[in-house]
Amino acid sequence: MISLQQLQFHYPAGGFRLQIPTLQIESGEHTAVAGPSGSGKTTLLNLLAGILVPETGSVAIGHTVISALPEAQRRLFRLQQIGQVFQDFQLLDYLNVLDNILLPCRIHPSVQPTTALRERAVTLLDQVGLAALAQRSVTRLSQGERQRVALCRALLLSPRLVLADEPTGNLDPDNARRMIQLLISETDRSGATLITVTHDHSLLAEFRRVIPFDSFLRQEATG
Amino acid sequence: MKQAFHLASRYLIWNRGQSLTVMFSLAVMIWIPLTVRMALHQFEREIAARGKATPLVIGARGSRTDLVLHTLYFEAPPAETVPWSEVDRINQSGLGTAIPLHLRFRTQPDQAGRSAPLAGTSPEYFEFRGLSPRQGTLPVLLGDCVLGSRFAESSGLQPGDTLLSAPRNTLDLAGDYPLRMNITGVLQESGSADDDAVFIDVRTAWVIEGIGHGHQEVNRETDPSLLLNNTDDQSVTASAAILPWLEITDENRDSFHFHGDLDEFPLTSVIVSPRTEKQRVLILGRYADSGSRLHCVRPPQVINELLNVVFRMEQLIRFASLAAGLVTAALLGLVLRLSLKLRAAELQTLFRLGCSQATILTLQTAEIILLAVPAIAIALTAAAMAADLAGKQLRMLLF
Repeated sequence: MISLQQLQFHYPAGGFRLQIPTLQIESGEHTAVAGPSGSGKTTLLNLLAGILVPETGSVAIGHTVISALPEAQRRLFRLQQIGQVFQDFQLLDYLNVLDNILLPCRIHPSVQPTTALRERAVTLLDQVGLAALAQRSVTRLSQGERQRVALCRALLLSPRLVLADEPTGNLDPDNARRMIQLLISETDRSGATLITVTHDHSLLAEFRRVIPFDSFLRQEATG
Repeated sequence: MKQAFHLASRYLIWNRGQSLTVMFSLAVMIWIPLTVRMALHQFEREIAARGKATPLVIGARGSRTDLVLHTLYFEAPPAETVPWSEVDRINQSGLGTAIPLHLRFRTQPDQAGRSAPLAGTSPEYFEFRGLSPRQGTLPVLLGDCVLGSRFAESSGLQPGDTLLSAPRNTLDLAGDYPLRMNITGVLQESGSADDDAVFIDVRTAWVIEGIGHGHQEVNRETDPSLLLNNTDDQSVTASAAILPWLEITDENRDSFHFHGDLDEFPLTSVIVSPRTEKQRVLILGRYADSGSRLHCVRPPQVINELLNVVFRMEQLIRFASLAAGLVTAALLGLVLRLSLKLRAAELQTLFRLGCSQATILTLQTAEIILLAVPAIAIALTAAAMAADLAGKQLRMLLF
């Protein structure tokens, strides 16, 4: 279970204050966080990922209160327990498909690209129908293929939680729907909890739960 | 670190144009001062070694530096000569071994313009310099010559071939004529100026100079038309129509003879090798008189003075290299900074995935290492290849 309690956060530069008295998301649940651009949805994902730390309150993922961990441990927790899919997918052009998927195990000394992880990467690619493209440069992939590579990267270390930040931001409606369905099916398969941020209301019907984000936001006057 | 190198290598290969530019800039930045340093050190080693191996040199009073460079590197001869009697005087005094040197001629340039100094000397020179033939034998007879290894290689000449001397002035009909010499051998490589020279017996040098010569037999019986009117019973005086030999062969070798007093025959310098320190001081004392026409110099001392000038030049080059290096380093720093700005999104992705600042720093360090190590290797290889050439060029430039 993911639990946010009495959470308050605001950026030093001001703009808005995020206040979440309580929010709980069950394990394995597929949740969409909906709201207009600039409403703080990405800030919520950053708090869940431990990139940002709340001023008050707590963020717990399972039994781990991530907001209370020191930075180095938050980083390791994020790497091992949280999969992330970014807007534009943020694949590295200079790596091939397989290397992009294995990226999370090349950036932390405690996680190494073992044979088992390589086999898992190949299995994931097989599951999304890209096994034949493992050695191809990501610059030569279609938008749909890039989405699937980004998803494989997020699922590589079998995370408990997958955070997707506007993963359909630059996609046409058909591709956007396919991406959401892929996210849901693959996280279902791995048993992970999925939280997707989107401002596209046409996609909300795909999710079991939708959290309208405006209710947590309080605008502040800026100088 | 292995993973950092994996990612760094992929990044550098992907951006290969930029990587190669940075790598070669770094290589050049390292190569220039390194080559200058290596070339100067090689130059220093080479000339200091030859200087030390030549204890004393006697020559006509004038520039000490010119005399030493002439004797050690076969550069232009001093204007005045040393009489042969000085060689006899030193040898008879028992103070050391005197080795004559006559260096006023060169070989005739070949089609590529290659020519070598003709060093007239005695067999003691080869022993003194530790030179032995790689092919053939040392010159024994009048008209024989032995080639330095580099000259032999560049000219393609070998024992059994012949070589012509070059007249000093082709327009002077009364001057010296080219002499065809027989190549008897090629010397082992010594890594010194000896490799670029051709060695002949000092008497052969005198023949080229015109002091000694050979010609057809003249007497009243063979061809009276060649004799002038002042010919009497005791001697014959031939006219200019007499045919001088331009090549010394087994048939005409005995006809070669020298005119004048051997004691006065010219040398351009004399190398003296005393056996003891005391003998060295005594020889120096003999030529210390400022009124004397000759002087005796110590090549190691002259070479040290020369090296001081070279090292002042090295300091200047080092300062220029440092300035160029600083500018290049600043430019490379700027390139790195701009590259980091361009890669901000990529670094943000790595950070969001769980990468620490330290790991990002490790990645960048790996990239720098992957660029710097080949750059250093290229610079070292290029410096090793260029230093030898640069050392020679420096010697040619300075002497």
